[in-house]
Amino acid sequence: MPFSMRPQFFSLLLSLVTFSWAATVTFDLDIGWVTANPDGQADRPVIGINGQWPISVLEVTLGDRVIVNVLNSLGNQSTSLHFHGLFMNGSTHMDGPVQVSQCAIPPGSRFTYDFEVNQPGTYWYHSHNKGQYPDGLRGPFIVHDPDDPYKDQYDEEVVLSVSDWYHDQMPELISFFMSRRNPSGAEPVPQAALFNDTQDLSLALQPGKTYFIRMVNIGAFAGQYVWFEGHNMTIVEVDGVYTHPSTAEMIYLSAAQRCSFLLTAKNETDTNYPFVASMDTSLFDAYPEDLNYNVSGWLVYDDKKPLPKPALVESFDAVFDDMTLVPYDDQPILGEPDQTVTLNTIMGNLDDGANYAFFNNITYTHAKVPTLYTALTAGDQATDPAVYGTYTHSFVLEKDQIVDIIVNNIDPGRHPFHLHGHDFQALHRSQAEAGPFEDSNVTAASFPAIPMRRDTLVLYPDGNMVLRFKANNAGVWLFHCHIEWHVVSGLAATFVEAPLELQKTIKLPQEHLDICASQGIPTAGNAAGNEVNLLNLDGQPSPPDPLPAGFTTRGIVALVFSCLSGILGVAVLVWYGLAGGENDPGLQSLAAKVDATPEIRAMGGDGERTGEHGVSSGADAGIRL
Amino acid sequence: MTAQVFSLPVFLVVFRESLETVIIVSVLLAFLKQTLDGPAANKKVYKKLKRQVWLGTGLGFFICLAVGAGVISTFYTAGKNTWDSGELLYEGAFALVASIIITVVGAALLRIGKMQEKWRVKIAAAIEGPVVSHVSFSGRIKHYLEKYAMFILPFITVLREGVEAIIFVAGVSFSAPATAVPLPVVVGLLAGALVGYLLYKGGSTAKLQLFLIASTCLLYLVAAGLMSRAVWSFEAHAWSKAIGAGDAEELGSGPGSYDITKSVWHVNCCNPKTNGGSGWGVFNAILGWTNSATYGSVISYNLYWLFVIVGFITMRYQEVHGHWPLMKSKADTKTDASSQRSEQDSEAPAAAFGKTVAAENAVEMRG
Repeated sequence: MPFSMRPQFFSLLLSLVTFSWAATVTFDLDIGWVTANPDGQADRPVIGINGQWPISVLEVTLGDRVIVNVLNSLGNQSTSLHFHGLFMNGSTHMDGPVQVSQCAIPPGSRFTYDFEVNQPGTYWYHSHNKGQYPDGLRGPFIVHDPDDPYKDQYDEEVVLSVSDWYHDQMPELISFFMSRRNPSGAEPVPQAALFNDTQDLSLALQPGKTYFIRMVNIGAFAGQYVWFEGHNMTIVEVDGVYTHPSTAEMIYLSAAQRCSFLLTAKNETDTNYPFVASMDTSLFDAYPEDLNYNVSGWLVYDDKKPLPKPALVESFDAVFDDMTLVPYDDQPILGEPDQTVTLNTIMGNLDDGANYAFFNNITYTHAKVPTLYTALTAGDQATDPAVYGTYTHSFVLEKDQIVDIIVNNIDPGRHPFHLHGHDFQALHRSQAEAGPFEDSNVTAASFPAIPMRRDTLVLYPDGNMVLRFKANNAGVWLFHCHIEWHVVSGLAATFVEAPLELQKTIKLPQEHLDICASQGIPTAGNAAGNEVNLLNLDGQPSPPDPLPAGFTTRGIVALVFSCLSGILGVAVLVWYGLAGGENDPGLQSLAAKVDATPEIRAMGGDGERTGEHGVSSGADAGIRL
Repeated sequence: MTAQVFSLPVFLVVFRESLETVIIVSVLLAFLKQTLDGPAANKKVYKKLKRQVWLGTGLGFFICLAVGAGVISTFYTAGKNTWDSGELLYEGAFALVASIIITVVGAALLRIGKMQEKWRVKIAAAIEGPVVSHVSFSGRIKHYLEKYAMFILPFITVLREGVEAIIFVAGVSFSAPATAVPLPVVVGLLAGALVGYLLYKGGSTAKLQLFLIASTCLLYLVAAGLMSRAVWSFEAHAWSKAIGAGDAEELGSGPGSYDITKSVWHVNCCNPKTNGGSGWGVFNAILGWTNSATYGSVISYNLYWLFVIVGFITMRYQEVHGHWPLMKSKADTKTDASSQRSEQDSEAPAAAFGKTVAAENAVEMRG
């Protein structure tokens, strides 16, 4: 094999996978803690699978039925798996987000994901529970396509993941991140970047051959600028959507984005070439001096030749604009929207002092009942968004509606927004600082005739974007920023798509209900678990209150009290100052003492008093204070 | 055009910082003039004390200039605000010391108003008297503090306000062109001085007792604010440590600039510390206003007043009855004066008042 990237991979895969003639692929995943040190800087516990980390690339073929048997052996954390980018058509209950389409899989429990894969391309799988995946539970998921339109144009296929890396575990990082000690919401800065969960990766190339490189950013936070010195990339797929070929010198991959490209090896073998992923430091609030923002690897033509250091790049101006891509299927722009959802991305603080992320005025908070289960049990009222609760920020879509999502960024950071269950047509994305969409002069007329499609798109700082999709996939789908910190701080909304159809088509496996029951999580009723009056949301989980705008009762009481104290104090001062005179007995004795001053001093001088009490004689000589 | 040579925030900072100083200096000067510069005056003592006041002010001002020069040169060489990290700590400590001194001096001023004649003599004796060398160390410290109170108070005040002003001005001058700094500094100082002069004029010609009462009230208001501000500053320092250096300052008066678990009120305006504080800075200097009150600052403010109220009522009690509340009257103390003294020292409402008791007993012993 020319590629030694994952030497352990095939043997591992064999141990995991049982191929069946009925095109059912089964993976048995025992999720548990292992120790790893991918950047050579720190051993740390990571979440591995079957005692291994990095976790395996899961590979299936278009049309396969995939069965993933999960056993949670973590002991101290619950988990779940989301297969990022797969539409889960007809199996929304297999989508994975906790409290959205299922309950978390508690330690010791088993859970089976069972779905058909009808999309070719590059995907990934990761935990969708409590910001867990950056602790290691994330890996590529590849769907091979026997009818790949580019299959004749390459010789070999390579899966290349890129990721940021933390030395501390997520629960600890989150508890600081979501605390009053982090009022500006500064996201923890990663300690390293990784290629294929390691560093200094070598890709052995054979001269003249063409490679199909499937890149996926499985990181938590950092977008990555990626370039291969001396080689261009010919982009042919993004997020599972084939595109017409487009040449790029440098690409930007946000967290969760994928980009597949053809890379043709040179005919000469006299030089090896570095390739680099450089973390987007504009996302970071701090710039630790010891952090290497870059990770490099090498295209190795001759392993006896030196591995040159990557050249410094002057700027990232050469980065490819994914909005210019054209899908291979030339799918034209969808018709006028039946429903437009406008979401303003805002960061702000709530009454616990922590920094939260908001769509409009709502920061996402899980409902008591997984939102899908509410949709399945709410009867006709499932079409009323109110039953899903205030803080799941749910929008109900009718079957086959055309939906526009307008996202305005009221925040100076980049946000890679991801829609579950769909890819979307990216109709418009403004430059940074363009302001809200409604204030721009962009009209429908300027939308492209064949818009680029993907499932995760980066919104620029203080800019806006317009996404369009057709609600042709009944299910409950999150729309959220894929920076894991922002998932934690609530930058998410929910689309409940054709809930009445769901009620007819989805039969929950007993196991789904069992893991809820074992954790005391209700599986019926509205967001508050109310099964009788679905519009009564008393007791729904809610975020902390907003910060008080000004004086609260407490403040008014304190201020009034302070004012009274001051006034009373001044009154006493005035009273004291005016009261009495030199004839008061107390003052007389003082006056007498003043007369006696010389004698006192003499007494002190006699040394009759020593120690602490001698002070009085000394003090006598001073101004009586 | 005016913005180029006159930065309003710088003016307000300097004016606000000098205001507190001039109140104290002018009250002290007016007091000295009234007490010691009369017909029966002790010119020598008056001059000596006046010199102390001016010396304290001048030396404080000089040190501020030196510190300012150091800070500014550090800004431009190291490019980093080295004082900033400890600013709140200094401010808190200075505010605490100033508050205590004002409290003690204020009580003395009021009491003096009642027995003006006697105290003229007394003060003269104090200033001219030698430091008793054989008494305990703490005794000597106390004695020095008393003997040089007229120096220490303005000195500490100028130092505190000055350092604060320098840090603010230096901070502002980063965002404003350097040309916009000198004029508002000078104008601010002059405006402050003018207010001080008016206070002094008003004070030194008014009826002594009324002037003393009015000025003491003002001083105590300032001192209560200072006590509150000291606690506030310590808390703010701890908070800015907790959230990372400089972050609190960056957050201005918005969310996260304060510890929400300790907040009693927080209004996103009226911050006496940003943008020169505008009118709120003056409000802060005189009444201790803050836009972000904490439990600590509110409670300390109220406790301070409680302490003052109890203290003055106790003093008045002593004046009327000739002995302190909850203590034996004179006749009884005579029998066991020396053993009583230590108890009285600890039981007295405040060290300052307790000392008077001790002194009083000394008088009695003599008798």
